[in-house]
Amino acid sequence: MKRYLLLILLLTSMFILSGCWDNKDINHRVMPVVLGVTQQDENYEVYLQIPQPAGGQIESIVVSGTGKTVNEIIDHISANMERSVDLLHVKVIVVDRELAEKGVKDLISGFIRSRDISSKALFAVIDQDLSTFFGAMSSEPKAEGTILLDFFEKSAGWDPQIALTRIWEVYRSIYSYTNDVAVPLMKLGKTTLVEHTGSAVIKNGVMMGDISANKTLLYNAFNGESTLGKIEVLDDASVMILGEKMKFKSKLEEDIPVFSLFLKLKVTILETINDPSENEIKKELEKLLTERYQSLFEQMKESESDILGIGQYFRREIPRDQLKEWRSVYFPELKVDFNIEIDIQNTGNLKIRKG
Amino acid sequence: MNSFIGKIKDAFQGNDDFFCKKQIICGESVFVIGLDSLVELDKTLGELKEYKVIEEIEQHGEELADIETAEASLLEGKLLLARTNKDLAISLVPAPVSLNRSIESSSNENVVLGSPISFNEDIKLNIGLVRKNMKSQHLKVKTYEMGKQYKKEIALLYNQEMVHSELLSKIQDQIAKFMNQAELECIQDAYKMLGLKKWSFVTQINTTEIPDEALRAIGKGRVVLFIDRLSLALILPGVLRDMIFLYNDHNYPYPLMLSVRLLRIMGILLALIIPGLYVALVAVNPEVLRIEIALSVAQSREGVPYPAIIEILIMLLILELILEASIRLPSSIGPTITMVGGIILGQAVVEAKLVSNLLIIILAAATIANSTIVGFQNSISIRIFKYLIVFLASLYGILGILVGLFIICTYLASIETFGIPYLYFNLNKGEKSSG
Repeated sequence: MKRYLLLILLLTSMFILSGCWDNKDINHRVMPVVLGVTQQDENYEVYLQIPQPAGGQIESIVVSGTGKTVNEIIDHISANMERSVDLLHVKVIVVDRELAEKGVKDLISGFIRSRDISSKALFAVIDQDLSTFFGAMSSEPKAEGTILLDFFEKSAGWDPQIALTRIWEVYRSIYSYTNDVAVPLMKLGKTTLVEHTGSAVIKNGVMMGDISANKTLLYNAFNGESTLGKIEVLDDASVMILGEKMKFKSKLEEDIPVFSLFLKLKVTILETINDPSENEIKKELEKLLTERYQSLFEQMKESESDILGIGQYFRREIPRDQLKEWRSVYFPELKVDFNIEIDIQNTGNLKIRKG
Repeated sequence: MNSFIGKIKDAFQGNDDFFCKKQIICGESVFVIGLDSLVELDKTLGELKEYKVIEEIEQHGEELADIETAEASLLEGKLLLARTNKDLAISLVPAPVSLNRSIESSSNENVVLGSPISFNEDIKLNIGLVRKNMKSQHLKVKTYEMGKQYKKEIALLYNQEMVHSELLSKIQDQIAKFMNQAELECIQDAYKMLGLKKWSFVTQINTTEIPDEALRAIGKGRVVLFIDRLSLALILPGVLRDMIFLYNDHNYPYPLMLSVRLLRIMGILLALIIPGLYVALVAVNPEVLRIEIALSVAQSREGVPYPAIIEILIMLLILELILEASIRLPSSIGPTITMVGGIILGQAVVEAKLVSNLLIIILAAATIANSTIVGFQNSISIRIFKYLIVFLASLYGILGILVGLFIICTYLASIETFGIPYLYFNLNKGEKSSG
């Protein structure tokens, strides 16, 4: 008898303690996909892009609000909407350039702290006023609510020139001594809805500058994500990357870090100009990539932001207490040795001149 | 008339099928006593009259002096021969009235490849079916007479070489203990007889009506129990593999057998999880869904008044009712249920915006998956377990499904029949199982 009483007690406590009355069915939640944050004076302004089913189609609406903290604004919006706002489906978080340059440390920490937003959400910077950006989004007739999400989706509209950075990576860069991130930089396009203009370099949560789309491809190649990326070789041809292999060597020579990079790219030729030979293309491409990498490194050194995470390779050589000076002391002194090797795996359906 | 006949007549007073007729057999006047519902009298008398002397007949029979055994043998369908001058009777085996079906193909279990014949009510015939297929001196048949008031014959069949001796002795002990304690009429009585738990949500006694399956079980060292007038073989102990594996699968080529069995495992999992998954994804953890699916699910639920758990419980109830109703109804009216059920489930409920159309897909998938489970009794177990998962999913979402599966696994692991765990897969003694 006592056992049964205990069992009943346990079962009732299961119901009482579960909190299941707070569960809201999926059709009673709004699921914003894009969250935009900008700052005006001391206040945040938040935009939510919410896809909503309407008459067999999915439309997207944009709601916004202002307040001291993001959570306060979301609460306010939720109270004013007929359904509750569920941020768990937020896939893309955008901020405007102004806020990014001011620093997003508090914002990102808040997202990571609260369990409402998935730490896998992507982070992007908009090179434009957010109200214009979201205004265009909601008036776009084809904007099916997920348009910005599809833009970043690897199975949909993503291209190797676009950096993919999650908010946990941005958060990591705030506290890491040796690793910064590049996040996509976008604005409204002239003919397409959005236009990708390159990447913003974020160091310790503050935007330090931007790099071009071409360099972002190299950034992605460094991280092993450039497959099917296309490179135009000036005057000769354009090629597509089929595969890559990368090796690194790092050593510290009298407190100067030396980094050797061995990049082997397998490419296929897409288009040629003036009938170049295979070797010419190879040479041209190797030269072009080396130059681009060099200029990327120059730019990184200038802004003292290590988006490729080169410092990671020196962690075993530099003592912990000096590691925090990696960006300011060691990184600007970095010597990089580029060894880029191109393998033209095929030339498409047409042959190409050898030699 | 002697007192013996008088007593028997008294005992069977009020039975109009009782006869006690004076006949002249072999020149002697005797009483033939019997029940004409069980004895074909004319035929029997014709056979008796072929004998020359009455002593020759008496040699075939058994002498009965006391009234109780005489009554019992009458009820068994025997014929009593009582000479007017003696105070005892001779029981003879007469030509019986045929009360058995012939061997038919099984109606509740389908056999795709292999023999479709099934057991029927006659225990002798059932044992014969097994004997015929297993020509081995290791096959042992032990019969017992059970029952407090109504006597019933049961038979234990096992392979002496293969059987787990512990299992066998435990079963025999239980039978010896139970003998004459209570009636033995249905499988629940068999549970009582064997001392198994009454509150078991899975079948600890597996049943089959196909001789091939019973044979295989005996070959695997299990014990088969027949109860007279029950057209099923009870296989002891019931284990989890009975839900998934059929002996007849071996009639497929090996890879096909594996894939068919894999399909059944998937069927069990789907039938268990899908309804719970719907509740979890719709009500508790929509973030697990991709945004596109989440939106279309939200769209399909637009205007549905109930929370997901109520919605699914209503539809599951209707579905269970349809299942039960289609068993109850005679086959001539059966299609009506299919039609009406189809209208409710297929169209009307969705159009009335009572449930979402995704739910209909979920329920259909779960029902179909449920039907892949071997044995109707086993599929009912899964049908019940499903509710546990649905409830837990409504409380804790995806986590609840995992907890539910965990509870089910622990429950199954806790069951033991005669020292053999329910999750035991290799029932062979010593050697490796070939599945």
